[in-house]
Amino acid sequence: MLGVIVTGLAIGALYAATALAYNVMYSTSKVLSVTTGHLAMLGGVFGAWFVTALGWPPLLALPAALVVGAFAGWLTDVIAIRRVLKRSDEHLWLLSTLALATIVQQGVGLWWGTEPKPFPRLLPQDFSSGIADQKYWLPIATTVLMALALELFYRRTLYGKLFIAMSEDTFAARARGIETDRIRSTSFAIAGALGALAGFAAGQLTFAFFALGLTLTLNGFIALAVGGLGSNVGALVGGAALGLLNTISANLIGGEYQNTVSVGALMLILLLKPEGIFGARNVRPV
Amino acid sequence: MLGLLATLPWWAGDQYQIHLAALIAVYWILVAGLNLVVGFTGQLSIGHVGLLAIGAYAFAILAGRYEWSPWIALLASGSIGGVCGLLLGLPSLRLPGFYFAMATMAFALIVAEITLALGDLTGGGVGLAVPGFSAPFDSPAGFYLLLLGIAALITWFTWNVARFPWGRALVAIRDNPVAAESVGVPVFRMKLAVFVLSGITAGVAGALFASLQSYITPDTFVFELGLFFFVCIIIGGRSSIVGPLVGTAVLTALPELVAPLAKLGNLFYGVLLLAVVLLVPEGIGRLFEVLLARLRPERAASHVLEPDTERLAAAIRKGRDA
Repeated sequence: MLGVIVTGLAIGALYAATALAYNVMYSTSKVLSVTTGHLAMLGGVFGAWFVTALGWPPLLALPAALVVGAFAGWLTDVIAIRRVLKRSDEHLWLLSTLALATIVQQGVGLWWGTEPKPFPRLLPQDFSSGIADQKYWLPIATTVLMALALELFYRRTLYGKLFIAMSEDTFAARARGIETDRIRSTSFAIAGALGALAGFAAGQLTFAFFALGLTLTLNGFIALAVGGLGSNVGALVGGAALGLLNTISANLIGGEYQNTVSVGALMLILLLKPEGIFGARNVRPV
Repeated sequence: MLGLLATLPWWAGDQYQIHLAALIAVYWILVAGLNLVVGFTGQLSIGHVGLLAIGAYAFAILAGRYEWSPWIALLASGSIGGVCGLLLGLPSLRLPGFYFAMATMAFALIVAEITLALGDLTGGGVGLAVPGFSAPFDSPAGFYLLLLGIAALITWFTWNVARFPWGRALVAIRDNPVAAESVGVPVFRMKLAVFVLSGITAGVAGALFASLQSYITPDTFVFELGLFFFVCIIIGGRSSIVGPLVGTAVLTALPELVAPLAKLGNLFYGVLLLAVVLLVPEGIGRLFEVLLARLRPERAASHVLEPDTERLAAAIRKGRDA
């Protein structure tokens, strides 16, 4: 049973990290990007490629994977968000990020192959350590560190305060002289790096798999919607709860119904508390 | 146009072209219904492949295992698709844009999961053989004509829906739900009705699709197929019927006719969707309209109003007398 809980927390940590990446992008742009899960997928696939194909040490592969993720995040903003936000149609960003996500996923599928490939060991540790194995605690530790770092960033740095200002009111922020376009690009790059970091840390759990992105986009979003949109604590709690729910239900009724269970939980929460557990109740815009 | 399409079996080069045309007709039956949801009402459903799969499996199980008449099984598939559309739409249509899209995507994944899990009923990963229709629809040409007839019927139906106040109400919901509600459009009920309708067409399309392919597995109904239907509509253009029709035909046929595109597969659809969203968000159909308007500038029609002096004089006279 302990094994089930640890596995659930590790998977949940990955979901929570994806939800954090959603939050970072959402804070400056009010956009929920379909590419969020694909950023983590890129971190895993490129990390595996750098280490196994190019033979780089993990200490070099990690920053390289982060750069790839940050670049992908920045590119999301340049290609799919910037032009689209100028128009007032609210559905367009959904279409453009969906298109970009499809391109990224299929492109990686063509280049990397559609079979999951093993992710290399990052730390020297033999395979007999059971639930103390690095593939479980690495993603959990990374996600907790990530959330703490984000909290520090928002509270202690000027850039973090700019993010908060933009999430409160973009127009007012712009009127006060904040370069909103540049801040948004930065936030997307940061989200990309965070996503890639999560994908890299959880690589041994998920394998380097091109279709991981879509699963993470969905499950990260469920974690976010359950925890409450915009709340980092909610993202952590939602992710952990979803991961635990997944593994425990798989243990009890079989792993075939994983998506059914998580989406059922989402629907239940949304019916009971539409803004999520830690979310702020939004005034309905008219 | 329809007549020309109906004679296709007699001038098509080979059986494969007839199969391709039949496939386009099947896809169009689904896309026509989905078009009312996506193109008119603006609800971005990317998971209709789930409803297609439900229709296909319902038909395969009813007509194959229980040996129902294909016609009754076809009707049953449509009804099951409609019921599933209702069950999916009831919770998810209350959600805002991104939430709704995610809910439909999750639905497609759930259906794929369940078809794999319920191996006794659906054959699991091995799949199911699907019976065909009885004569005269048992040959490729005959089946194609049947599909063409159903597709034409559904096109005519959606065209009628779109043309009348119904369609206007749908467009109003898409463009501004609050304003639509304020003028008395029952927003949720309209969305739900249209969604159930799209479920019915998806169920019917699924049954016909299964019969056309004659063997189905869960791998037939990948999520990317749902994305493909969605792309057909967005590329064709919103609140148009001809646009998505052309989009479906071109996008189905193009990868089959141009071999390098088939290798790129869904990457190609992704690039196309991105290009259309960024360059012509109204869809390619709109592009043609603009070009046509450039080429043939319409003269402003001049209206000359002639006062009806006799009636006016009579009215004044009547007023004076009274």
